[in-house]
Amino acid sequence: MARRNGRGASSSKRLRKTWWGYPRENGDVGARNYLLVLSGTLYANPTCERVARTLRHSVALTHPLGRCQIGPDIQRTFETLVGHGQNANAGAVIVIDHHREEGCTADEIAHEIAKTGKRVEAINIREDGGAIDATAKATRIGMEMLRELTNERRQEVSVSKLLLGLNCGTSDTTSGLSHNKATGWVTDQVVKQGGRALLAETTEMMGGEGVLADKCVRPALGKRIWRMVEEMEERILACGVDLRGSQPTGDNMEGGLTTIEEKSLGAIQKAGSAPIVDVIPWAKRANRRSGLHVMDTPGHGGESITGIAAGGSQVLIFSTGGGHTINHPLMSTIRITGNPLSARLQADTTDVDVTDIFEGAPIEVAGRRVYDEVLEVASGKMTKAEILHEDNAFAINRNGPSV
Amino acid sequence: MPVTAMIIEEGDNVATCLEKVAKGGSVRLMLNGKMGKTLKANQAIPYIHKICIKPLKKGEHCMKYGLSIGVASKDIKVGDYIHVHNIESARGRGDLE
Repeated sequence: MARRNGRGASSSKRLRKTWWGYPRENGDVGARNYLLVLSGTLYANPTCERVARTLRHSVALTHPLGRCQIGPDIQRTFETLVGHGQNANAGAVIVIDHHREEGCTADEIAHEIAKTGKRVEAINIREDGGAIDATAKATRIGMEMLRELTNERRQEVSVSKLLLGLNCGTSDTTSGLSHNKATGWVTDQVVKQGGRALLAETTEMMGGEGVLADKCVRPALGKRIWRMVEEMEERILACGVDLRGSQPTGDNMEGGLTTIEEKSLGAIQKAGSAPIVDVIPWAKRANRRSGLHVMDTPGHGGESITGIAAGGSQVLIFSTGGGHTINHPLMSTIRITGNPLSARLQADTTDVDVTDIFEGAPIEVAGRRVYDEVLEVASGKMTKAEILHEDNAFAINRNGPSV
Repeated sequence: MPVTAMIIEEGDNVATCLEKVAKGGSVRLMLNGKMGKTLKANQAIPYIHKICIKPLKKGEHCMKYGLSIGVASKDIKVGDYIHVHNIESARGRGDLE
């Protein structure tokens, strides 16, 4: 029984150098070929959901924002939505808004997404005749888009076309010893082949800044890491409470993690030994330079992986101590654990079990299994959470009040 | 049968117990896959929690991964259970401002 969840699938074959994806006009490659139905504002959410329910192979992204936000906050929502539309896993996009949201209209979002060369249409519920007529129009357009999308074929591409997302969650003391180390091994293999990986979770760099700064290719990048962690800590201090309880969380502490420093030093094992080539704000698109990219995100798993998806990742390794259901609706999310108890309790959503590390298996043996899973999932194999529609982790980070 | 406890870096103050340990139970230390000496747990230690392997005076930094994971809030002896009751974080302490 202990050998389920993909264990025992190891092989002595050479490391795979390619995967099968959907090449896009702008040079990106999708691991999925979804029609994305993207909501511009909360009042368009039900219309998006109706359209996506009707159309097979479509995904709706809905959220409570896009309205009555100010300045940098509405800009953040806008960039997140644009980033998801531009993500290569979306083959075509329909953006739906309600009436007019200044700075975040469906037309403006669609305009930015169109720069990738993919087909995108904007629907406005008011102008298109109300909820029912707008649903009908979007459904009809979406059906034609899907006829085209489903006629496209995957092509063999290099690992260099991968932007691998890295995130951990419900961490415990096994995280820094097992699954995060296996993830770090995968990061190194992807980067060695000219690919990219994207590390996030600024709160979980607190106490490990120096380790990350030493990996930076330029001292200025290291300074940016120190600065972004400092800004996060300043926001925490301004709350006037002990961070402990929020970070590490209750389940982190139950899992034996005593302080944020301990959690961080385990979390940054996901970085492996790859050089850090860029440090970017929340939801910004990662540049094309091979190496490890670092994004400034909170430790909140849903917000963090939403930032990573907006940054362009097609596939993400979510490495977890407690086991997890987390799944981004657009970016394939592979959950792995090295905690033997969690592998059993959360087997329903654990894609790769690396508990053999605690039985003495070398990190590269477990890492190899995760690497193979990454390329298989990138090539179309569904994760357990994709099969279960466990679409719980699209969460836009905020930096301002509702007004 | 002693419970295995993993040390990450030589010089660390703590090791992670891979099974729960009863009070007085024995714990065998492991570093880089090699088994080392055996300790007695002074208190019960829950599943995957930490045991002290190098004593700490109040105010000293507790080392894991070769780096500080916080500060001892009281003196800690070898074999003691280490967690939130005797280690404080040095970061994000808005309560101390």
